[in-house]
Amino acid sequence: MTGDTSSIAPLRPAPLAVRRSGVGVGRLRTIALLLPAILLALLFLYYPLVFIIQMSFTQGSSFLSPTGPITTLMNYALVVGRYLPNLLVTLQLALFATIVDLVFGFPFAYIFVRKVRYRTAVRALMVFPMFGALYIAFGMRFILLPGGPATPLLQALGIASTDALFSLPSVVFAMSIFTFPFMVLNIGTALGNVDPTLEEAAACLGARPWQTFRRILLPMTRAGTVAGMLTVFGWSIGTFAEPLLLGSANEQRALAWTVYQRGVVQTDYGLSTAMGVVLLGVAFVVTYLSLRYSRGALVE
Amino acid sequence: MSTVRLASITKHFGATIAVHEFDLDVADGEFVTLLGPSGCGKTTTLRMIAGLVEPTGGRVWFDDQDVTFLPPRARNIGFVFQTPALFPHLSVADNVGFGLSVKGSKKPAIAARVEEMLAMVDLTGYGARMPAQLSGGQQQRVALARVLATDPRVLLFDEPLSALDKNLRESLKFAIRALQRRTAKTAIYVTHDQSEAFAISDRIVVMNAGRVEQIGSQTDIYLRPRTGFVAEFIGANNALRGIVSAIEPVTAADATGSDGLDGGPSAQHRLSVTSDGLTLHGRSSSAVAVGDAVVAYLRPEDLVVLDDDQVGDFRNVVDGEIERVIFEGPTAQLRVRVADREMRVDVGGSQRLTLSEGHGRVRLGFNDLNVVPAEAAAAASGTAAGAEPA
Amino acid sequence: MTTPTAGIPARRPLITARRLSDALSHAYIWTILVIFVLPFFALVGFSLTARPGESGAVTNYGYVVDTFGDNLLWSLKISGLTLLINVAVSLPAAYAIVRHTFPGKRVLFSVLTLPLYVPGAVIGISLVLTYNFTYHLTTSMWGLVLAMSLGTFPLMLTPIVVALKDLPVIFEEAAACLGATRWQTYRRIVLPLIGPGVSAGLLLCFIIVFNEYLVTLFVHPPGLTTAPLRVFNQIRTAGLAPTTAALAVTMQLISLAAVLLFFRLFGARHLKGTYLL
Repeated sequence: MTGDTSSIAPLRPAPLAVRRSGVGVGRLRTIALLLPAILLALLFLYYPLVFIIQMSFTQGSSFLSPTGPITTLMNYALVVGRYLPNLLVTLQLALFATIVDLVFGFPFAYIFVRKVRYRTAVRALMVFPMFGALYIAFGMRFILLPGGPATPLLQALGIASTDALFSLPSVVFAMSIFTFPFMVLNIGTALGNVDPTLEEAAACLGARPWQTFRRILLPMTRAGTVAGMLTVFGWSIGTFAEPLLLGSANEQRALAWTVYQRGVVQTDYGLSTAMGVVLLGVAFVVTYLSLRYSRGALVE
Repeated sequence: MSTVRLASITKHFGATIAVHEFDLDVADGEFVTLLGPSGCGKTTTLRMIAGLVEPTGGRVWFDDQDVTFLPPRARNIGFVFQTPALFPHLSVADNVGFGLSVKGSKKPAIAARVEEMLAMVDLTGYGARMPAQLSGGQQQRVALARVLATDPRVLLFDEPLSALDKNLRESLKFAIRALQRRTAKTAIYVTHDQSEAFAISDRIVVMNAGRVEQIGSQTDIYLRPRTGFVAEFIGANNALRGIVSAIEPVTAADATGSDGLDGGPSAQHRLSVTSDGLTLHGRSSSAVAVGDAVVAYLRPEDLVVLDDDQVGDFRNVVDGEIERVIFEGPTAQLRVRVADREMRVDVGGSQRLTLSEGHGRVRLGFNDLNVVPAEAAAAASGTAAGAEPA
Repeated sequence: MTTPTAGIPARRPLITARRLSDALSHAYIWTILVIFVLPFFALVGFSLTARPGESGAVTNYGYVVDTFGDNLLWSLKISGLTLLINVAVSLPAAYAIVRHTFPGKRVLFSVLTLPLYVPGAVIGISLVLTYNFTYHLTTSMWGLVLAMSLGTFPLMLTPIVVALKDLPVIFEEAAACLGATRWQTYRRIVLPLIGPGVSAGLLLCFIIVFNEYLVTLFVHPPGLTTAPLRVFNQIRTAGLAPTTAALAVTMQLISLAAVLLFFRLFGARHLKGTYLL
């Protein structure tokens, strides 16, 4: 073996086994640092979730009554039975909002990434929707009021303003404004990772813009686009300001509001938690899918 | 200020052995360089000395103190990284004074020391600037001032010049050496650049794949490489495989050099090696017997192209045919075919021009080859054709 | 051979396909941006209309301070406390996630950021049923603060994690070799250098919590109404009123001021990786 031909006897005895210092202490420190966050999540998210899952299998407010809980599957039967329209309208609104965001958001993201120089101004204006769907809904309701500012325009288009105000389109419109930045962010990030020279190369090879879009851009931004769609959908199923303020009776059946009404106002805990669990289930499926497609984890 | 002793330092990363039982004694005030290719374990070893990595086995001693498990902050060391790592939000003066301020020194004392350090690295007056305003070389000098400010007992350098351009490297390496001499601190320096190691070290440790190949001075390593790796990693070398045919008795005049693994003298024996029909005379520091497979190394500059009347001056004379001439400027490289193998010969002076490809037959003379056991060379060249394991 | 001049226009035409498409593109962007701010300006306009019986429009804002002043203060207070808790929870967790090694990191990070993906109504109902009704904990401000914190601390955690990841370890190693203890290194080197990331988290959380009404509706103690919740209640009970609009406008102006302040101090790059920008 090379380098081993030492002709001088070692002055000290062979080294002892190395003490594994710091490993146990390190673990303890890691746990201490993570503990507040874990406690917060456990106590205020996971435990309550477990709770309401339990509750969803009880009848009415029997979970908290002195006589004890009555187990039943009635709540879920009601959710898919009598309250099916609520569930459906919630999904429908979210779906439409997602599609609107996708159709209008993709070009926006593309132009923003490729052509816009005044980025800070755009970003500053894009924060407005984030202040809350509530203000958007409020503002829109004012605009669409009969006798309000939009009435002349609507009359010119032949639409009665009451039709415009309390209707599905206005709810969807307000919802899509709120979630628009999420869609643009996800698509924009994906587009930013596409080398612009690829589009130039396609153009040189004779591709028309639509062909470049369909065959180059769309496949390459698929992950970001899907992530954006799923993010928007996930947020949209949980909202109730827009449906309440801008929707007709139909839209006002959005599940989020029904949960509040049945649960807090009418204390039908069983039913409201069952609805909550269904919402949660949809949200989890959507989240799982979006994490699968999203642009890489932040931790290795 | 401190001696450093590494006793069988080992580091495993899972199944990979990064450093294997490294022994080293560094004297007080000595400048020792760990030299080797990327991945040879030199940086890992340095970081174990610093305490940034915990060894899997072995001990580290500073003087009489076992520091193996001390965290870096308790070892009183100075570590200079490959990038200057100046804290970007602090001024130059605050950077230099950082080590003192975390120990609780008073502001006036810190300020005075900072001035002193900046003067030592020729950056007086730069105290108020921010790191981003400095060039790469200036930043590295501030880094030097920063580690010296705390008066550490050992200085550790992790390839501090590799991120700088060539001219800067030249001047800065001598500046580092001058500072080390002036402050009389023990220094351990890591680099893959052979000329850097040769320019500033007292002793060099050549490493490869986690193991020590040779420890010695520049002349020891260059003129008397003990393994094939060292012979081929340091400078250029011709490698001739053969068998030991005769061993000559040791004389007093043979005890030369200080290339024992711990710096002690070792004897070199003269021997003869047959290789491809040629009988060559050489020396070896290793214990070999007649019949052992060996590799004989010969530096291109030690081969001389002879006129016929010079033959008697050399122990070895062979004939060959010039196949290629590469003019390099100060030297010309000749590729000469000798007995079925190609050898590189470096010539200077007028021979650069007189020897051209059409020249044909030449006579080459050289003195002792450096002979190394074949298995010691196998690791370096990869192919062990003809070599038998010991 | 002379260069032919026939057939080559003397000047580039004013309207080329590219210019047209560029103009349309910018018009598209600006149209959408205008749509974004339209509700805001509509509310501004509305808030400046005089109420019946009042003389000036500006009195609406006076009304805001008088009647809704308490709500605004509550909003600020709740936001402030939530931010404190978020910072206290996220800073250590982020450090452990980025600098320590342990199994299941990715899972843990997902577990911790999950609250972002749970619909607000579900958070609301689960919290109110678990703690207010079941355990009969006195409904207090802290319940609301913790609910807000739970929903938004992922938004604080993410920018800090990103900022820590971007901070080369070498700075901490250099500080350690210079003799600094772990705490000294953290306080003097790490914290200042991740400052912008922490501020991004503060900004995000502030905007969300300040304007939050949904979970608040479920969890708020009686008598404690934050401003956005007040807006919501007002609309549902009293319909659209200029004073309500004035409150909404005030809220948005405060939020906008926070955003602009952040942009001024730090620029937009530290918001990368979050869902705001």
